Amino acid sequence: MANIAILNRQTHRTLRVQPAFAAPRNFVAVVVGEFAHLVAHYPILISKDSETGAFYCGVMLGIDQSENLFAGVSGLYRPLNVQRGPFFTSGSDIAIDLDHPAVGGGEPLFSEAGEPTAYLTSIMSLFRDLVPGIEQTKAFLGELMRLNLIAPVDINLGFDDGSERTLEGLYTVNRDALLRISDADALMLFRRGYLELCYMMLASLKQVSVLAERKNAALVERGRAAFG
Amino acid sequence: MHQVRNIVIVGGGTAGWLTAAVIAARHQGRIKKGSFSVTLVESPNVPIIGVGEGTWPTIRSTLEKIGVSETDFFRECDAAFKQGGRFARWTTGADNDAYYHPLELPKGFADVNMVPHWLAHEGGVSFCDAVCPQGALCDEGLAPKAITTAEFRGAANYAYHLDAGKFAPFVQRHATAKLGVRHVPADVVAVHQGENGDVVSLDTKQAGTITGDLFVDCTGFASLLLGKTLGVGFKPCNDVLFCDTALAVQVPYPTPDAPMASHTNATAQTAGWIWDIGLPTRRGIGYVYSSRHTDADEAYETLARYVGPPIRTLTVRKIPIRSGHREIFWKNNVVAVGLAAGFLEPLESSAIVLGELSAKLIAEQMPATREVMDIVAARFNEVTTYRWGRIIDFLKLHYCLTKRTDSQFWIDNVDPASIPERLQNLLKLWKTRAPWFLDEFDRLEEVFPAASYQYVLYGMGFKTDVDPDDIAATSGLADRLMRDNAMATQRLKAQMPKNRELVTKIHTHGLQAI
Repeated sequence: MANIAILNRQTHRTLRVQPAFAAPRNFVAVVVGEFAHLVAHYPILISKDSETGAFYCGVMLGIDQSENLFAGVSGLYRPLNVQRGPFFTSGSDIAIDLDHPAVGGGEPLFSEAGEPTAYLTSIMSLFRDLVPGIEQTKAFLGELMRLNLIAPVDINLGFDDGSERTLEGLYTVNRDALLRISDADALMLFRRGYLELCYMMLASLKQVSVLAERKNAALVERGRAAFG
Repeated sequence: MHQVRNIVIVGGGTAGWLTAAVIAARHQGRIKKGSFSVTLVESPNVPIIGVGEGTWPTIRSTLEKIGVSETDFFRECDAAFKQGGRFARWTTGADNDAYYHPLELPKGFADVNMVPHWLAHEGGVSFCDAVCPQGALCDEGLAPKAITTAEFRGAANYAYHLDAGKFAPFVQRHATAKLGVRHVPADVVAVHQGENGDVVSLDTKQAGTITGDLFVDCTGFASLLLGKTLGVGFKPCNDVLFCDTALAVQVPYPTPDAPMASHTNATAQTAGWIWDIGLPTRRGIGYVYSSRHTDADEAYETLARYVGPPIRTLTVRKIPIRSGHREIFWKNNVVAVGLAAGFLEPLESSAIVLGELSAKLIAEQMPATREVMDIVAARFNEVTTYRWGRIIDFLKLHYCLTKRTDSQFWIDNVDPASIPERLQNLLKLWKTRAPWFLDEFDRLEEVFPAASYQYVLYGMGFKTDVDPDDIAATSGLADRLMRDNAMATQRLKAQMPKNRELVTKIHTHGLQAI
């Protein structure tokens, strides 16, 4: 259970958070402003919110439940929703989930003088991208829905240990449908920057096999350990 | 050659508007070019009889084809999920006497007949629970899908309970706004026929004369065109199905978030049965009874016992049920759909599905010219007569398998003289082997497929001989399917939301089209 508190320089004076903490999750929501950073490393897909059924954009971090194949990988862009760790916004305030596993150890949030550290300042600036980004992403997806450009994608993966995975509940841009839209719609998508986002999502699908290869190596390694 | 281009539907209830929408959706290309038209003439004064609040899964493809959104349908028709029927007290009348007729086919239905395998096992699990997860979902009031499931798709097969009074206007809005159906609110005062008997035109009080090439009679019990104008007779079937009256009442929930059943409850009584259908806003409850076996006062008391004290403040409506159908359904250039074609008691909710199937058949087989219309009509009559016969058989099955002897109603229902010969023969046959493919139900669009008969027969304890040697070859497969089903049942029970919760979410968030 989450234990959420509004961040406060008195109460949380000595609190520390691990900035590089990798949550055990295989999918995380992203916003359109990040696509250019994400496309080189992560498969960018569309999924549905389990509470509302609404579409949202996200990247695959792993294949099995709670599997984060990017844990311990350094030097890559980390999605804003990963970077924010235990932090949330609550109105104009920053809140923190005190039970989040990243809380305790790591970077301090406040200096001895009670001023926000560079780390906390970076979190505050992150939300300045993330909060409007959520609305921009909704607008992008709304336009894709209006033009019937979202289609389910079946991802079937086979691994060298003989196991197979079928990923369900994922969607992407329908490339064929995109080629059939009217000139006026194409121009509108282009001008709003949505066409670029569509092609970044499609290009990022190549990262699924990169991720699968990483998973495969881990499985084979595990198999060797078991038999060795 | 007399081209068939202008379709006139008379009557605007559920049957009329569904037929208009189905025909118009199928012929959109020609309607847009102006070479084909669908007109619906509806009296602004005749009240609509809201028949049936239960549907069959066919309604999902019907709604999808006419192009409405499932979210809008839920919001505007007070719809809720229906996953089948639970039949209580039909076999012995005891408190624990109940079985499900779910909408899911038995697991592996296309590959193996599960019945003899289940009969050979008889491990205390009901047939329904042994072969499909739906009974367990209904027991727990769970929905057949999640908020993340696309419109018209399900984790389990489903239909809807709906407010029939809101459904016809819903389809009307769509048919007129999106499908190009012309709506003429006017009273028909005269019908003009040509020399060959074909209906040529209608005179209306408010909108002058309306001509057409094909007329669809959706005028309800009046059967204005097929019955009155063309003189096609009515074939009653009250010698088979005794129920001829219903007392209906709308019962509010104790609280707005009270649990809502995702199946129809059908509870047998001494002279009929009580339906109980959960809509988001209210329960629709009614006692369908045989007036030869009980009187109106006794029937009211029976209904009152079921509903409880709230009934004293509620309006109870008495509805006559004239079970039977027209001798033929398409004569000359007139075809009847809905109550104008016939009506049966609401057991197994056959009214809307029959209308849908007829509308679809007319839309798909639309004769290009008057010259070929009689060929299409003959086929339509053959198929539709078959369907009515099968539905009557299937409804009778529920009654004639009873072991109840506590009232004359049930005793009379097992009298062989009241059981159609075809059904008698099938019952004889089924003592030696269970119904399945290549049996009697091999039509492309059976209203009730062999699976439905399986659920009712073995839900009611019907005995079929099983030769162990005969099923040995498929017993491995059957065992695996039963194990798969047990796993699927556990998985769905853990994943599916409550029926009420999902319907509320659909109202708030909507379902995605994909």
